[in-house]
Amino acid sequence: MGENRLAVKLDRVSTYYFGERRPAITDISLKIPRGSLTLIIGPNGSGKTTLLETILGLLAHKGGRIEVLGHELPRHAMKVRRRCGYLPQDFMRPKDEPFLAKEVVAMGLASNRDLGRLRDDDWRRVYEVLELLGIEKLAEKPIGKLSGGQQQKMMLARALVRSPDLLLLDEPFSAMDEASRRFISEDLLPDHLENGCTILMVSHDVAFKPREWGLMVRLEQGRVKEVVVNDLKPNA
Amino acid sequence: MLNSLAAGALAGSLCGCAGAICSRMRLSTIAFAIAHAALAGSAISLLLGQEPILLGILLAILTSLILGPISDRLRMPLDTTSMMLFSIYNALTFISLVLSPGPTLASEKVGRILWGSILAVTPSYLIVLLSLAALYLLVLRMFWGRVYSILFDSRLAEAEGVNVKLYTYMLMTLAGVIIVFALRITGGFLVFSLLFIPSASSLQVSESLKKRIMTASIIGAISSILGILLSFSLNLPVGSCIVIGAAAIFSILALISAVKRRIW
Repeated sequence: MGENRLAVKLDRVSTYYFGERRPAITDISLKIPRGSLTLIIGPNGSGKTTLLETILGLLAHKGGRIEVLGHELPRHAMKVRRRCGYLPQDFMRPKDEPFLAKEVVAMGLASNRDLGRLRDDDWRRVYEVLELLGIEKLAEKPIGKLSGGQQQKMMLARALVRSPDLLLLDEPFSAMDEASRRFISEDLLPDHLENGCTILMVSHDVAFKPREWGLMVRLEQGRVKEVVVNDLKPNA
Repeated sequence: MLNSLAAGALAGSLCGCAGAICSRMRLSTIAFAIAHAALAGSAISLLLGQEPILLGILLAILTSLILGPISDRLRMPLDTTSMMLFSIYNALTFISLVLSPGPTLASEKVGRILWGSILAVTPSYLIVLLSLAALYLLVLRMFWGRVYSILFDSRLAEAEGVNVKLYTYMLMTLAGVIIVFALRITGGFLVFSLLFIPSASSLQVSESLKKRIMTASIIGAISSILGILLSFSLNLPVGSCIVIGAAAIFSILALISAVKRRIW
């Protein structure tokens, strides 16, 4: 596969947390094609979130080489991050959080603006994504007053509003009901794949994996234990 | 008198705004470090027989610039670095005052540094404050999208490509400069109360962060005006009077908020 067709390329990458002698992930080598959906699975503490944060350049890797969307990390980390959408695992906000839900979603666009305020077009885009997820009626509510599932959808909306080239989802279904999980895995993510978005999804629960998944990477104790290629991928 | 009220309102408003932002960013302790840097600089100037303000300003600005990078380099929480510097500056202040020639602790110059003074308000000081307010507003307006994103969740903002360190250092430096100029009125020991009491008061009345920042600015301005009027009429140290004014507003708002909560 041509190197320019890869969204993420990791070559013997290890990441350490400050003060730790043992790396959180060790010698990870992966090639993730553009426009594919990769599932990252494994038990608690196996390094799934560390891997996502290393790919975003939020955690500095010590060994190896990382290329994301054609740019080498950590040198071009800012450039890469601006083309990514990220749904973190710890998304819950306290009840008295002084931000409206729509403001939180709009921040996904504001982060990419050099100067000034959001324009009317930007707000239209925010509402478009909120409607897509069926949460537009919650837009004016304080984010902390929403339920866990609603907050998770808002954070997903924030990641999607950026129209990312690379979408990193950390346990995206952890607080959602079954209908929402089904809609996201069967409709929303496949649509984004069709539009050329590359998706990396960390999940415990593989029962709701989209049918279009291309790779399944199993991590154990910070190492890649198994990589499964989906031959039944509809667009393969 | 009018100059003093205008300067007090401006300084109070700036402190309220910077305080609300620093509180949200959990940077409260930087105010301690920066205020005491100015205090130490002024005390060292007295020891050297120089004009106290200049070195105070320089040391405060230097502190606001180095706090972030030191914490990052040494991988220490910003709070820890701030409190460490705060202690060092306190020690330097007292050593300098004790070693200064003459009855320094009772002198007017030291009093101005420690407790603040209305006499510090000159037309040029007013112009500096106005320029500082314009600069602060301009920076916030220009970068509001990213600053707001950092105020919500700095880690997520970083994941989206916002240069969190740059904006945090910029806000810290501006807060540092505001503190330096405000402490000419309130004094080094009390300037942080003007930063954080209006911010605490705004929590009682506003649910959104934007409103909290604006409310804190207004309360800061009113506290300063009240304090200056009190100081003029009772001939008491102005810094202390401003704190009393701010605390009175806080108490009233906290009471109203408690009553409202009980009723609703």
